[in-house]
Amino acid sequence: MKTKRELTDILGFVAEYATYQLGSGVHTSRVVRNARRIGEALGVDVRLSSFQKSTILTVLDSETGEAETRVVAIPALPISFERNSDLSALSWDALDEALPLDEIRRRYRALVEKPRMDPIFTLLVVGLANASFCRLFGGDWTAVGIVFTATLVGFAVKQRMTAHGINHFLVFVASAFVASLCATAALRFDCTAEIALATSPLFLVPGVPLINGVIDIVEGHVLIGVSRLVNAMLLVVCIAVGLSATLLMVKDSLL
Amino acid sequence: MIVADILLDALFAAVAAIGFGAISDPPMRAFPRIAALAAVGHALRFGLMRYAEADIASASFVAAFAIGMGSLWLGRGIRCPMTVLYIPALLPMVPGIYAYKTVFSLIMFLQSLERADEGMRFMQQFFLNATVSLSVIGLLAAGATLPIFLFNRRAFSMTRRKRS
Repeated sequence: MKTKRELTDILGFVAEYATYQLGSGVHTSRVVRNARRIGEALGVDVRLSSFQKSTILTVLDSETGEAETRVVAIPALPISFERNSDLSALSWDALDEALPLDEIRRRYRALVEKPRMDPIFTLLVVGLANASFCRLFGGDWTAVGIVFTATLVGFAVKQRMTAHGINHFLVFVASAFVASLCATAALRFDCTAEIALATSPLFLVPGVPLINGVIDIVEGHVLIGVSRLVNAMLLVVCIAVGLSATLLMVKDSLL
Repeated sequence: MIVADILLDALFAAVAAIGFGAISDPPMRAFPRIAALAAVGHALRFGLMRYAEADIASASFVAAFAIGMGSLWLGRGIRCPMTVLYIPALLPMVPGIYAYKTVFSLIMFLQSLERADEGMRFMQQFFLNATVSLSVIGLLAAGATLPIFLFNRRAFSMTRRKRS
């Protein structure tokens, strides 16, 4: 049996735990399962339903029949697979080791405060990745080198603009434009310039929301799935707009 | 030569998956497995298209299914959900050239409104490339997600320490 105070405490934690995951790119059914598992570990029934921007949660003590409900905003966080794995694992540990709320909360804090990947390291591996991508599409080595450089510049633009808190649609348009503009250097060399130009903005493709959207829809969370897909498609349109600006400048050399 | 081609394809796919994965902040312990999945998946698609004359959409579906099954197998050992492994591994299969040609032909169509037959040619290219891009992306997501439905008990307890 829970007191009103305990129930409120549990609801507060589960709300933070669930919205943190929804904000950092975990698909909906996993968040629902994780949150219910935490509830099970603490002896309450957790129900939640989620939209793109907010989540409605109810915590029910089945012994007393007492319930509490809250609507919580989902924070906009950078996507993190590490937190996705760690927070899922936390819910299993809570259940299997029958952890009390204070201990779960302590471990949760430690997990979300873990440092993220170093931005310079990310920048370099993204450059290498896009260069390999160019090679996969049949680009020659000159094109690969140009794509590597163009990606470094484009991704650095994205990192700096994101750090300044600029609207993410503008960030995508600007990064796609800068990356593809740098890749037009390939037109001056005897190389596979079109492949270089095509590959340069691809590091921006929003893979996580695209796939999460599909997973949510096929698992029956159609509303949030469609919202995620609409968001992802808007980002794809932004990439296309940035790339188009470059293409309009150089289209005659490409025909 | 065939083996060398396939191995090179696998190598570049692995590098691409590691880099694109790094954007989404995966746990360090997941990198070797992401690379292995991407290498196997992309090389499989390459092999199917080059030597078995499969089209890009069905080859992508088969490769994505293989990656999904692989992530079900490999995720348990490092307590990672399947999506953490398979989303980065799928990214090197995104049909970038088709997506680019979709944008390019749309622009060229808008530039040739005055010349009807040239415009029609670009419109045709636009639909061709957009159809391929959308089908491949849809099939990639569906193929990799299928194992979750086939083996949902295992897929839902990937991060559990205690073996059920």
